[in-house]
Amino acid sequence: MTSAFFVTWLAASLRLAGPVLLAALGETFAERSGVLNVGIEGTILLGALASFLTDYVTGMVWLSLLAAMLTGIVFNLLLAWMYVTVRASQVVVGLVFNVLAIGIAATVYRRALGESSGPQSVAMFAPLHIPWLSDLPLLGPVLFGQTSLLYLTLVLVGLAHFVLFRTSFGLALRAAGENPSAADAAGISVARMRYIGVLIGGATAGMAGAYLVLAQIGLFRESIVSGQGFIALGIVIFGRWNPWKAALAALVFGACDALQLSLQLGGGNVPPQLLASLPYIVTILAISGLFGGRAVQPAALMVPYAKE
Amino acid sequence: MKLIERRVSPADSPLAITTAMVVAALAAMLITSLLFTLYQANPLQAYFALFHEPFASWRGFGYTLVRTAPLTLIALGTIVSWRSGFGYLGFEGCFVIGAAATSWLALSTTFSFWTFLPLALLLSFAAGAAWAGVVALIRARFGGNEVLISLMMNYVAILIVQYLVSGPMRAPGGVPETALLPRATWLPFILPGTRAHAGILLALCAALLVWVLLRKTRIGYELIVSGLSPLAARFGGINVGAQLVFAAFCAGGLGAWAGTVEVLGEQHRLMDGISGGVGFTGIIVALLARLNPLAVIPAAVLYGGMTVGANAMQRRAGIPSSITFILQSLIVLMVLASDIFRRYRVKLT
Amino acid sequence: MPAFEMRKIVKRFPGVVANRDVDLTIEAGAIHALLGENGAGKSTLMQILYGFHSMDSGSILIDGKPVEIASPKDAIALGIGMVHQEFMLVRRFSVVENTVLGLKGKLDLRQASRRLRALSEQHHLAIDPAALVQHLPIGVQQRVEILKLLYRDARLLILDEPTAVLTTHEKDQLFTVLRGLRDQGRSIVIVTHKLQEILDVADRVTVMRDGKVVGAVSTQQTTEQELARLMVGRDVNLRAVKVPVERGAAVLRIAGLHVRDEAGQEKVRGVTLDVHAGEIVGIAGVDGNGQSQLAEAIMRLRPADKGSIFLRDHEVTRLTVAQHRALGLSYVPADRRHVGAVTEMSIADNAILGSQRKHTKGPFLDTRKIREHAEKLIARFGVRATSIATKAGKLSGGNLQKLILGREILEDAAAMVVEQPTRGLDVGAIESVWAELLGQRERGKAILLISAELEELMNLADRIAVMFEGRIVGILNAANITAEKLGLMISGLSEES
Repeated sequence: MTSAFFVTWLAASLRLAGPVLLAALGETFAERSGVLNVGIEGTILLGALASFLTDYVTGMVWLSLLAAMLTGIVFNLLLAWMYVTVRASQVVVGLVFNVLAIGIAATVYRRALGESSGPQSVAMFAPLHIPWLSDLPLLGPVLFGQTSLLYLTLVLVGLAHFVLFRTSFGLALRAAGENPSAADAAGISVARMRYIGVLIGGATAGMAGAYLVLAQIGLFRESIVSGQGFIALGIVIFGRWNPWKAALAALVFGACDALQLSLQLGGGNVPPQLLASLPYIVTILAISGLFGGRAVQPAALMVPYAKE
Repeated sequence: MKLIERRVSPADSPLAITTAMVVAALAAMLITSLLFTLYQANPLQAYFALFHEPFASWRGFGYTLVRTAPLTLIALGTIVSWRSGFGYLGFEGCFVIGAAATSWLALSTTFSFWTFLPLALLLSFAAGAAWAGVVALIRARFGGNEVLISLMMNYVAILIVQYLVSGPMRAPGGVPETALLPRATWLPFILPGTRAHAGILLALCAALLVWVLLRKTRIGYELIVSGLSPLAARFGGINVGAQLVFAAFCAGGLGAWAGTVEVLGEQHRLMDGISGGVGFTGIIVALLARLNPLAVIPAAVLYGGMTVGANAMQRRAGIPSSITFILQSLIVLMVLASDIFRRYRVKLT
Repeated sequence: MPAFEMRKIVKRFPGVVANRDVDLTIEAGAIHALLGENGAGKSTLMQILYGFHSMDSGSILIDGKPVEIASPKDAIALGIGMVHQEFMLVRRFSVVENTVLGLKGKLDLRQASRRLRALSEQHHLAIDPAALVQHLPIGVQQRVEILKLLYRDARLLILDEPTAVLTTHEKDQLFTVLRGLRDQGRSIVIVTHKLQEILDVADRVTVMRDGKVVGAVSTQQTTEQELARLMVGRDVNLRAVKVPVERGAAVLRIAGLHVRDEAGQEKVRGVTLDVHAGEIVGIAGVDGNGQSQLAEAIMRLRPADKGSIFLRDHEVTRLTVAQHRALGLSYVPADRRHVGAVTEMSIADNAILGSQRKHTKGPFLDTRKIREHAEKLIARFGVRATSIATKAGKLSGGNLQKLILGREILEDAAAMVVEQPTRGLDVGAIESVWAELLGQRERGKAILLISAELEELMNLADRIAVMFEGRIVGILNAANITAEKLGLMISGLSEES
């Protein structure tokens, strides 16, 4: 393995970890408050679409990012209502929502672009060039040559950790997910905490979709998410519902993904489809419980709470 | 005095539940028709096309039955697993695995139909059972979350089949699909003048079997108790882990049979994308049927018909067929949401 | 002017009116007891005062002014605090985190810990702010709950069944603390059904029965008998008629059993005990000293680490639950809604839980046999239900318990393990459960009765073993039992072999 290969691989690992990390950060808030949002896959898709359409029309990447965030929040408002107020089964609602999202994305995309046109590319976030730092050997391209969106993601990791563990809001949110009765008795509105958790999840899932379009692939297609929302759920578990550990877990995933891409490009005898299954298999192993994990989840995760 | 007050306990008479479901379905159709306006189409015309084609003509009904068979089998798999407390979502995977196993057997042997069919069903069931069984073992042994793991496994299965049809099983030519399966393996047509094939008969038998299993057998009783309360199940001497694995085998096998009937009855070859998302639509059908094996049949006919009608709707009204995904999922979401309205009562005095 | 007043409170739940026109007056600087049986409506009334439930009609006044309490947030703001029967603590959080939960403003755990420590010293409630709640024993957890209220400077402290989980010694400590708080001018309400404790510590007592107030007196001017009569509505001395029975051979033998709980902590430390045919052996002790784990291990719902269990001379230590049942062991668990029954299924389906293999014809269920069995069950054991197709979850606590007990009795097992059989039941149901257990004793069955109610043990058991911290600290014969001796042993302050 040459050092060039190594550098490319590391840089790609960081870059590919972005979307799942973004989605996982918000989902951590949702799950810490007690809600498992399987619909995250659909929200990412819709965020991707929103960012694509905005970028197609305006060419402004930051505005497109904002559009994606808002889209995520709006759709997750519906999801939060079903999870918290209607108290329907969380897995069922999330799953059905994903199908709905696929339908909406396909319909709106084709309407906007017409049936016959091929994939359209849009403006993307450019990798930053920080004077002197980006030119360092090894560290340069890996750490200092990424897009501003990735740096924003890393900042959000720190912010998420601070809010979750060092503010009264974070304490109240976590209580809603550990023992909702106790939270209620302490005067906290469990429903409000859970709505906020799911909406934060929606915002970052939307951003994750924008990342895929604006900082990774540069166009929209219906298969752009391909299970990365589910992988984000796996990263939340593997990261033990902790933002910093989730970042590490996302990096591991990114490394796998980058590895299989490099191996595909580099030729060799392994069929590309089997390589492409590597990230999924790694995620399965990570959440299989082989490495512990069930015992640490928020105690009231997926348990609806109702006041009489 | 408030106009709307909270009931002491939710209204649960059959009338209340049915009314809620009907209202929900209508609400979903109303919302979807708003999307029709994006295409400057008349909603009534579009709905007419959607429901007329699959049910009004003999030929259309035949197509509907073709769609109904795999949907029914997957819905049944969902029912057996979910009611046993095993939240399995890997039916897309089981479908393609079953389709692949069946195609492999068809292409490698030259049996006559009546020798081939039982072998194919057996092999396919075993393959699907093993595929789902892996997830059950992980859950039973290591406590892994079967919801996420089964979702991941779908992608693995699809990639495996992609590999097979691009490599070892590819027919000469450039297209990622296998050769046409031998005529002797094709399921017979059962309604003259249509493409409806015997797969629907398999689905109907399976529905009956699942109903008998859950309602009338001891194993079914133990499965349902395990699903409702694992603690009480263990108290009652039931081996919850074994129940889980058994439920997984049944679910995986049924899912695989869905792939088998699709391959042997309609497509007659294995190809990438053969599932068309039925692994998830089937789950939605099960939800609409409220996890009742007999109610699955009308629900599957309805949704199967919608899929057929979607193509007609595209031809006649210019609305893309992807709108059916929206309608099908919105109906179930509205039905789920309608539960909340049963908790309240309107005070008119 | 009374500090706190509740007027004409009405609250309905599905199938029952929990509070009917209830009036309650609480003075400042007083300890007020709220007495009633299980189901009398006292907990509900306090939940309304604390904002956990909404009332259907009525009013609440503080210092003469009407107030609106829509949620605990309002109650806390008005100076009301509550310690619930099941503690409202987040087990994974520390003591100080639990204390500041719900308070607005910056999260400064260090400052909060300092303030907490000061309060703890002031009121003699020793705790460590940094300790995680899941590691604290129950008595200490209660101190945390009380400190939470004092941290918010509560004027009114409501304690719901505070002594249920305490040893006698801890109870005395609690009462000392309460008296101190009263002397500071705070108001305290204790919700309880223990008459002696009321006379010990309360100034006034309000008695509730069937959702209504049936009396409000000063404790100086009343007696235990009068309170008991008010509480139950008739002259009550719950006594069971125990016929002398010839004790047979040992049916259930436990030797040197060690059992751990989920967290890996050893809960049963070398228990040796035997139960003979025709006898009831009681296990006394405050909840949490290993009784549940012992019962679960005997029934094989939990593996034993060390030791052995013998049933009629067969060693059964490593068999499965199903095998235990087949060999003649049945179990009435403490948790009737989640372990003993499946609330979503019908009475008929629940009637065969545990014996489903006996009600089959080949692989199929024998529906006629099941129906007959269920109908026999509900008739014989007086389960009040409209049909055997009713969901078990709709039965009242007493009827559900009769269903479960009846089902286990009909198995005709040689030995029965019965855990907290009358928890939450009204007097009528308690009497019928006692009669059934004594009936089985007369039929020569061996019964192991685990109960936190001393009265129950003293009435039913032939011998009483006391469990404290996982060990048997003494086995007494029925003839030599006094409540005092039992009380001391339960608190770990005395041993007798």
